[in-house]
Amino acid sequence: MEHPAELPLLEVQDLRTSFITPDGVVPAVDGVTFSIARGRTLALVGESGSGKSVTAYSMLRLIQPPGRIVGGKILLRSARAGEIDIAKLGERSGTLYKVRGGLISMIFQEPMTALSPVHSVGHQIAEAILLHQRTSKAEARRLTIEMLAKVGIAQAEERFDQYPHELSGGMRQRVVIAMALVCRPELLIADEPTTALDVTIQAQILGLIKTLQRELGCSVLLITHDFGVVAQVADDVAVMYRGRIVEHGPVRAVLKNPQHAYTRALLDALPSRRARVA
Amino acid sequence: MTESPAAPLLAVRGLSKHFTVKNRGPGAAATRLIRAVDDVSFDLAPGETLGLVGESGSGKTTTARCILRALDPTGGSVLFQLPDGRTVDLAKLSDRALKPVRPHVQMVFQDPFSSLNPRMTVGAIVGEPLVIHGLARGADLEARVAEVLRRVGLKPEHRVRYPHAFSGGQRQRIGIARALIMRPSLIVCDEATSALDVSVQAQVLDLLKELQAEYRLTYLFVAHNLDVVRNFCGRVAVMRRGRIVELAPTAQIFAAPQHPYTRILLSAVPSPDPDVPMNFQVAEELAKLDAG
Repeated sequence: MEHPAELPLLEVQDLRTSFITPDGVVPAVDGVTFSIARGRTLALVGESGSGKSVTAYSMLRLIQPPGRIVGGKILLRSARAGEIDIAKLGERSGTLYKVRGGLISMIFQEPMTALSPVHSVGHQIAEAILLHQRTSKAEARRLTIEMLAKVGIAQAEERFDQYPHELSGGMRQRVVIAMALVCRPELLIADEPTTALDVTIQAQILGLIKTLQRELGCSVLLITHDFGVVAQVADDVAVMYRGRIVEHGPVRAVLKNPQHAYTRALLDALPSRRARVA
Repeated sequence: MTESPAAPLLAVRGLSKHFTVKNRGPGAAATRLIRAVDDVSFDLAPGETLGLVGESGSGKTTTARCILRALDPTGGSVLFQLPDGRTVDLAKLSDRALKPVRPHVQMVFQDPFSSLNPRMTVGAIVGEPLVIHGLARGADLEARVAEVLRRVGLKPEHRVRYPHAFSGGQRQRIGIARALIMRPSLIVCDEATSALDVSVQAQVLDLLKELQAEYRLTYLFVAHNLDVVRNFCGRVAVMRRGRIVELAPTAQIFAAPQHPYTRILLSAVPSPDPDVPMNFQVAEELAKLDAG
């Protein structure tokens, strides 16, 4: 590896993403700093409007006007492409295209909207391969089927030609994961990946993300509102409130001994905690 | 039918709802029967909260809808005790006979965004049930709307505003006010707090508890979130594939689940305590359960 092990894969410094509206400037992300080491999982947790999703979308420069990144650095120390400050890349830069879906990929919350309804699932995964790698169509098909099998889809060969509406919610999320991981990203961003799923399906998908992460050695930025998911899946956690990180640390330390009043309030609002108090 | 004083408010017996769906593809039979609700029975005592939990497709919402007669059940009975002591079978009443009964059974919906008409003021939304049933108008209507808004933690002056001006938690309070204004004895809450952030969810659950104590309400609480049910319900019925697989007091369901499906379901919930590991092998265990 060309970078010393002690330098984190992703280092976000004083990130500021604002929405410039006629009623004024809304600082959705207001000076956020965090880092993720190789192979680690950081959970960004907070309630609606805390800025966690805007932070995630900023990593891929997916913020649409009237929003924009107004300050800070997003340093990606890629083993494949060297050090990149994503915040500084031009909108049409080739490096940005390489980052999106290649070095960093994303799993979205709603698998039905993340997939195109008019293309077969195999086609959609193979497209990612053809965009980012020099391969033949036949090779892309082979890699796709291999990936579908890896995410636990039985009869992957037949599934290749099926459309999203023919699959269950859990199957669709497996397809989305296959699509995200097929190009071997160094960082996977998962934005509420199991919020739309039943609890038994959630358990399978979270287990799958953990297994594949270990196998592929990528880092994960997990966006969630669920402290249960944080406790079971992440190594580190950053609690967001009103565009800022109010508390940051190893999962066990933060959940067992929260220092910030907001973290404590959030944990106390959990039905399971309330039950214990009552 | 004779009733003793200890009679349940609601007695559901052998309730079923079947749907016929068309099959596609060659070699398939033309139609197939989906047993969305399949021989479901339970009692609701006055003033209690029963949680109806299960995953998508388990039949919990269809059960709730059959009780409210938003759907016509295929079979079974839903015996409901009116405030005057008479008992009616909600499953068999005609639409006309149902109307005077409806005020006593109200519903709070899941989605605070789609369940409120964006073109109506909050006052019109909350007062509409009284208007439809011809129970109040004019100054009396205004006064009752203002009172119920205050009771759910909103301000009487909010009645001239439209739903878009309110947050998710406030909208859910509007939905609760609309149900409460009829002074029902039974409220069916269908995933009433699922769309809310945890801190807001806690406030809405607290409100529901206060209202229950004050008005002696009975809740049928349909939910997929086992954590919420644990704190809120006295008893829990676990549904899978249209049937109740287990019904027991909440503490017992969580401490000593009897049915293997309940055990698997509980083990899949990610605990916020890092020292309580969740079960990632759910798929294998469910497959084993189905194989018998």
